[in-house]
Amino acid sequence: MTMTGYQNNVLRVDLSAGKSSAEPLRMDFAEKYIGQKGLAIRYLYEELKPGIDALGPENKLLFTTGPFTGTGVPCSGKLSVAAKSPATGTINDCSIGGHTALKIKYAGYDMLIFEGKAAEPSIVVIDDDKVTIEPAGELWGKGAHVAESMLQKRFGKDFGFLVIGPAGENLVTMACINSDYYRQAGRGGIGAVMGSKNLKAVCVRGTGSVKVANIDTFSEKLISYLQENVLLDDNTYVFDTGTTAFLEACNDGGILPKRNFSDTTDENWTQYNGEVMLSKLAGKRGCGSCGLGCGNFIKWEDAIVEGPEYESIAVAGPNADVSDPYAILKYNEVADDMGLDTISAGDVIIWAMEMTEKGIHDFGIRFGEAEKMREYLGLIARREGVGADLALGVKKASEKFGGTDFAMHCKGLEYPQYEPRGSWGMSMAYAVSDRGACHMRAYAPNEEVFAASIPPYTSEGKGEMVYGLAEYNAVKFSLCICDFWATLNYDIMADLMTEVTGKEWTADDMAAVGRRVINIARAFNQREGFNRKDDTVPKRIVKEALKSGPAAGQVIPEEAFNDMLDQYYSVMCWDKNGMMPQDLIDSLL
Amino acid sequence: MRIKILLRGTLPKYWNGEKERIVEVAEGATCAETLKAAGLDYLEIPRFGFVAVNGKKAMMDQILQDGDELKAYSKISGG
Repeated sequence: MTMTGYQNNVLRVDLSAGKSSAEPLRMDFAEKYIGQKGLAIRYLYEELKPGIDALGPENKLLFTTGPFTGTGVPCSGKLSVAAKSPATGTINDCSIGGHTALKIKYAGYDMLIFEGKAAEPSIVVIDDDKVTIEPAGELWGKGAHVAESMLQKRFGKDFGFLVIGPAGENLVTMACINSDYYRQAGRGGIGAVMGSKNLKAVCVRGTGSVKVANIDTFSEKLISYLQENVLLDDNTYVFDTGTTAFLEACNDGGILPKRNFSDTTDENWTQYNGEVMLSKLAGKRGCGSCGLGCGNFIKWEDAIVEGPEYESIAVAGPNADVSDPYAILKYNEVADDMGLDTISAGDVIIWAMEMTEKGIHDFGIRFGEAEKMREYLGLIARREGVGADLALGVKKASEKFGGTDFAMHCKGLEYPQYEPRGSWGMSMAYAVSDRGACHMRAYAPNEEVFAASIPPYTSEGKGEMVYGLAEYNAVKFSLCICDFWATLNYDIMADLMTEVTGKEWTADDMAAVGRRVINIARAFNQREGFNRKDDTVPKRIVKEALKSGPAAGQVIPEEAFNDMLDQYYSVMCWDKNGMMPQDLIDSLL
Repeated sequence: MRIKILLRGTLPKYWNGEKERIVEVAEGATCAETLKAAGLDYLEIPRFGFVAVNGKKAMMDQILQDGDELKAYSKISGG
């Protein structure tokens, strides 16, 4: 059946042939996977041959909206960006904020699919149903901020832009895609996939609209949910502080990493905390359809950043043994402009700092060297000098130079900034995440650290706990809803889906979609050869006890980690090797 | 004994926006008892998070010492 809320239209751009065409959306996929994350993964499962080179023309880059996009549902401005990851070889879907998702939907598309490779560096311009492929010209080689500024001058502010920096052009597998200058689809080298297609930017304008099934009741419910569930102080704190608020809580909770995850907590945290950063607040904004507005523009001398997000502060701050707030902000700004994921780029640099200090290999940088850290971003993005080695990422660089015991990654995706020894469930959440170490698949500190509900230093019950968190996020991100609508529940999701699509949805349906999304991602990875051997934890986490903070003395015994994996596989009905049975895979298709 | 209480996240709303107070409690008071003495029953607060004593996460039944700093957080979501 056709559901409203969708445009029932996919734009497919064949960059090799220089042609584009529109086709109906696979509504049978949408009924099972809704939109965004789930829908994109289902398409990639269908269309990508196993074993392809993620940086070859056979890979496809998908920009996917959802049924809520453009309808005014609060916090629904996110856009999924998905492809096979060149960093991990797994499926990779990222979520980017800003306004471009709405423009794609208003241009009449649920999804954009880019395939093949352009003969020369190019941009794609989508102006409603008019699609052109043009030479990138002088945009190629420019930083993401400069490139977007040039595009905006040329096309105007009605357009939204998705842009890569030099890192994406040079196929660095920690390259991101930028939009609205300061928003990123950050992880898994998604920007390198765009670069591999010789695609510098996608420019989109849409002047259409979106139809919902029941406009009167939908409008009433929209206002009601906005007032009664979104605009609660449980959610609106992000307007005031963004994710800078996490810094103090992570420090007190014993999960703020220090010096490449060799310890936790930082006695200098008040030098660069949210209060300090926000003292330089220069402006505010939110994404399209947002009711919360977490974006804080900080201007500190010549550094301008939107955020900064907790992740970027932690990796360029305590994890690099830096406490100068300007240095942290400038790191963030330069990484964005180079088109580098702040997490992965930061992790490989702090790993290099430890390598140098331990005398294993001299990368020419030590802990605390903030200015050099910033300079290394440019070297990595351009693969120059020492940057050519660090551009390999933590996994491959450690296989080449040593230091694998403290190479903080899973499946080749570098660790986010939540120390698992203070939140044991997080070690397993990183291990079973569909794209390598990701904190957005199941956010264990929510239960283990930031609430008094579940003890953090035990494996007991962690399979169910991580599954519950992962299921909720999988459906939330398939609805294109931002993480910061924290009080959202399955009943509200189902109610809004019913109003928008005209098809009856229940809370149980939402849970089923979440489970299906986790499974289709696992099926993709299983087809690529991934199984239990790849659901790993760095040796540091299972061999070295923390020295400081509330989690001092904590180490996750290997048997406890394996117990958590067993629990999770059991909950998912996968076998002991983490493999899905064929009948389960068949049920997903 | 004197305990400094700091409230974080959404909790200051229970003190009309106030974020910091010094309270006097009996020797041997726990985190939970000290918060209750200051008008905060954590069991009655939706989305109550956790407490930290002198910058370290603590259990609600931890016994406080004179001069301790007790920090209470509302639950944080997101990442």
